[in-house]
Amino acid sequence: MLELKGLSRHFGGVRAIDGLDLTVRKGEIVGLIGPNGSGKSTTVNVVAGLFPASAGKVFFEGKGLEGMPTHKRLQAGIARTFQNIRLFGQLSVWQNLWVAQNAPEDHARRGFFARWLGGQSGVRAEIAHLLEFSGLAHKQDELAANLAFGEQRRLELARALAAKPKLLLLDEPAAGMNSEEIGQLRDRILKLRAQGITILLIEHVMELVMGVTDRIAVLNFGQKIAEGSPAEIQANPLVRKAYLGGA
Amino acid sequence: MLDFLQAVSDGLLFGATYALIGIGFTLVFGVMHKLNLAYAAASIGAAYAGLLILQVAAGAPPWAVFLCAFLGGGVIGWLVYLTCFHFIPLSNPLAPLMSTVGMLLLIDEIIVHVTAGMPQNYPAMFDDVMLRVGEFTLRGDLLLVAGVSVVCMIALLALLYRTRLGLATRAVSQQPVAAQLCGIRVAQVNAMTFIVTGLLGGIAGALIGASVGALSPLLTTPLTVKGLIVTVIGGLGSIPGAIVAGLLVGAFENVFQQFRGVTERDLYVMLLLFAFLVFRPSGLFKP
Amino acid sequence: MDFYYGLAQTVGIHTLLGLSAYIVLLTGQVTMAQAAFFAIGAYAAGMLTVLGGWHIVPALGAGAVFGAATACAVGFPALRVKGLMLVVATLAFGEGVRLFFFNFDYQVAKGEIKVGPLGGEGFRQIRYFQEHGWSTGEVMLFIWVFVILSMAALWWFDRSRYGAVLRAVGEDELAAQSVGVNLTAVKVSAMTVGGAVAGIGGGLYAHYTTHIEHANFNVLLATFAIAYPIVGGLKNVFGTLAAVIFVQAFLIEGLRFLGDWRNLLFGALIVAAMNLRPQGFLGGRRA
Repeated sequence: MLELKGLSRHFGGVRAIDGLDLTVRKGEIVGLIGPNGSGKSTTVNVVAGLFPASAGKVFFEGKGLEGMPTHKRLQAGIARTFQNIRLFGQLSVWQNLWVAQNAPEDHARRGFFARWLGGQSGVRAEIAHLLEFSGLAHKQDELAANLAFGEQRRLELARALAAKPKLLLLDEPAAGMNSEEIGQLRDRILKLRAQGITILLIEHVMELVMGVTDRIAVLNFGQKIAEGSPAEIQANPLVRKAYLGGA
Repeated sequence: MLDFLQAVSDGLLFGATYALIGIGFTLVFGVMHKLNLAYAAASIGAAYAGLLILQVAAGAPPWAVFLCAFLGGGVIGWLVYLTCFHFIPLSNPLAPLMSTVGMLLLIDEIIVHVTAGMPQNYPAMFDDVMLRVGEFTLRGDLLLVAGVSVVCMIALLALLYRTRLGLATRAVSQQPVAAQLCGIRVAQVNAMTFIVTGLLGGIAGALIGASVGALSPLLTTPLTVKGLIVTVIGGLGSIPGAIVAGLLVGAFENVFQQFRGVTERDLYVMLLLFAFLVFRPSGLFKP
Repeated sequence: MDFYYGLAQTVGIHTLLGLSAYIVLLTGQVTMAQAAFFAIGAYAAGMLTVLGGWHIVPALGAGAVFGAATACAVGFPALRVKGLMLVVATLAFGEGVRLFFFNFDYQVAKGEIKVGPLGGEGFRQIRYFQEHGWSTGEVMLFIWVFVILSMAALWWFDRSRYGAVLRAVGEDELAAQSVGVNLTAVKVSAMTVGGAVAGIGGGLYAHYTTHIEHANFNVLLATFAIAYPIVGGLKNVFGTLAAVIFVQAFLIEGLRFLGDWRNLLFGALIVAAMNLRPQGFLGGRRA
């Protein structure tokens, strides 16, 4: 579904990503790990369209994404969450989801007028479903800025789902969570896969990565140094060296 | 051709004042990421304040008036800081902007009230001196304007790059939170930025008064617009940019005034701005 | 009674001006161009009734169309200009439009006299209401029909997904893009709607004052346009209405007894309002 071929992204002299080859097949959950500064978030940003690639290509469902603006990528089926949560703080939980309903199938189903100027009634059911999934139904009218941290993370994920994506890029969704929350996140991610969504998970929290991914790729200094199943990666000496450094 | 070059040289000399105004706008923007729309009005207000010394000592020499304007500018700058930036939480970007607009109107009205709307004569220095360089005439008073402006710019750059205050200012402009964590008192730095730009503005206002020969409250709006145009063309936050842009706008404006008259002149300055916005929106220099 | 009708007319027209800025401000674009769209609507509607003999309602419609079209044209380049630079760019655009009308002559002979805009002299004899025997009360009601329609339309937008999307863009463009919002469409459409509302306001203004000239559409008017929604708060359209009533009715008329000093108070009151209540009368940005 997603293919990165020789992807590079430079910022001045810094090679944030350097010749990265990565394939994510439909229905997989692939993890992307690596020490800080290894290029994981940059990869998400390039795939999402925030930065153009300096070299190499990104293919989604066989088609090159070069030059496609971010909002069109969302409509093509790629959604992402942010590492530092970027909710619309002054809008309510409900409104945050409402704004994000930009999937092409929704656009086709309801006319222009209904979609933009219609009231809330037409989409109540769908948004209610998203709220249920994220356990936020009781807070639907609360301003996003007033939510607890864990709730904000759930809203961030729900918002990414509002556009019915085919591919979900999760940027460190477990940061700052405790064990129980990580367990709930793991269950939610597995439910999403069961619904047919392909997932690329950037993460530091090994508890989550090892427990939920099919395959893991490891980055260091912008290059892929290892790829394999969770068990293979855990046993790989190169990976340990990258994280712990030293001889 | 000669006329053209003469117009350019006069324009460049006068453009030095635009450069000073542009520096004031751009410095506040660079440090606090906010626009102080009252700046040009405050500069003209400071120039008026300079005239106060003539109330006290009737025969005072022009440089005393300039000095008084200089100091008045610092005071007014500090007042603008207090009323628009000190108390308003910076998380609200629109409120300080609106407040500076309020100060702009307030300063304008105070000027109109105190002077009953009558233009005030402004002393000039060396206005009877004409230097001849080959075929060109360089007006003595304009040379002074340019000279003083250059001295001010050098002083400002020295302040920013060779003193601790300057270092603190640059730190705050880049990372205000980290600067605070390093013990820099951000409020103090911000206040000093306003005082320093106010001092600069006072000089600029006085120099403008001196080269035009009179001050009038009608000067504030066009000066605000031009100052902002200079700031944008130079690149928001860049002092060298403001300097170059000020000279550029001064020269451009004077050339068009020479050849197309006063009414069309301003339209061409707007077109210059739009040309930059289309082809080089980040301005001449990056901050 | 006529006095109160006149006041209500002024409040109505300024509310339209404020509303035109309100919708653009929601998207985070601080625009000083609304007075320019207002001017375009004024001249367009005036010329159609005076020179073309049109009925007032289609003339106002044309004013809205011209305002909207200009705003749409401005909206695209405005996308390239970030944050506070947009203030400067729109300010310069506004001044450019004003200068255009300063130089704009289009006169047609009607019987013995010539009518139409005449550059610096302005556009006199826009006497549609007088020629058709409208009373002051009727004009007031007519103006308020448009005000109420505009407020209703904007209220509806606010309650709909479009309104939530506008505010999302105003809050965080990056996040909005990432959830599929087309920034260009949203920002330009908001600017266009604002231009339409300003065009209607301008058209009504021209007929209510019967004489318009370039100086009416200056930086001060552009400032009023954004002052109303900022002082009133961006929570909903009533904030803007409240601010207009506060400024026009209370300040300008009610403080008439202060004579000349009331203009002084205006600036001071804006500064005070922004310090005491930076989020505006009605507060925050949630509809």
